[in-house]
Amino acid sequence: MSVDEYDPMIERLFAKTTPLPDEALFAAELAVRMEKRSRWRTLALTAAGVVGGGVAVREVVQFNFKSGAHQASSLSDSVRAVAATAQGATQSGLDGLGIGSFDLMSGSGMMAFWIVAGALFALLAAGAVKLSQDV
Amino acid sequence: MKQSLREMHDVELAAQAAAGGRREYGELVRRHGSAVRGLLRRMGAAPSLADDVAQDAFLQGFQRCAEFRGQGTFAGWIKKIAARLYLKRVAREARYVEEVETDDAQISVDTAGLMDLDEALKTLNETERVCVTLCHGAGMAHPEIAAAMNLPLGTVKSHVKRGLDKLRARLSPAQTSGGRSTYVG
Repeated sequence: MSVDEYDPMIERLFAKTTPLPDEALFAAELAVRMEKRSRWRTLALTAAGVVGGGVAVREVVQFNFKSGAHQASSLSDSVRAVAATAQGATQSGLDGLGIGSFDLMSGSGMMAFWIVAGALFALLAAGAVKLSQDV
Repeated sequence: MKQSLREMHDVELAAQAAAGGRREYGELVRRHGSAVRGLLRRMGAAPSLADDVAQDAFLQGFQRCAEFRGQGTFAGWIKKIAARLYLKRVAREARYVEEVETDDAQISVDTAGLMDLDEALKTLNETERVCVTLCHGAGMAHPEIAAAMNLPLGTVKSHVKRGLDKLRARLSPAQTSGGRSTYVG
């Protein structure tokens, strides 16, 4: 602000605030909006995380298990048993969600896995950015 | 002993809000809600739009609270967010074209002396009003206003100067007789 624009009277007038009569209503509405957005944000991020994590775990376990079958010496029986159990649990969980029949390893192997993982990560990032912009 | 919200300084409240404190942020809203809404109304927003934009600004402020580190006032910080949001809304409607003086308001001198700022602002055209309000109400510098309104810097300066001259004339009739008025601060 240049010197000739500075005007104490105008500054004072602009600084004066008259409390609006519906101040409390405004604050209450805002609190409701904050609560609602926070709930949606939590829900969306949790859902995306669960689905993404589930798919990623399934693919990793499946990959380890399959590669383990070709290289029997590299995995002990107990580790394989744990992997199989985890795979079974993940598979049943994904079946429950209706996405258990995807077989990303059948096509171009790891490439498919990384594409899906990348897409999920991009989706999550986009969702997070969008949500933070909205809120 | 835990300090009550009303006793806490804005900076403390903002710091706690940045950590997710909604009650603390609610106190900031209570303190500055009217000022932000008033600013938007002075910029020319209808009351419902002003409230809507003010709510968006406070929501955005909550997300970005960590960015406020007490340099300047919280009121100034949140007002800038609100003003920018309002300008974005208005820009979507393409209302701020570089306008030639469309309604060179007839300044009738108020013989009673000082009058209400809000009334005086109505004598400015839309762009002048927004520029003056951003400058003096939201504390934005000319280059910031130019960037936010997508107007050349010189144009913003002219709008602010013309707007201020009109306001001075309107608010202090006694000083309008000799053309441009000067003030000793």
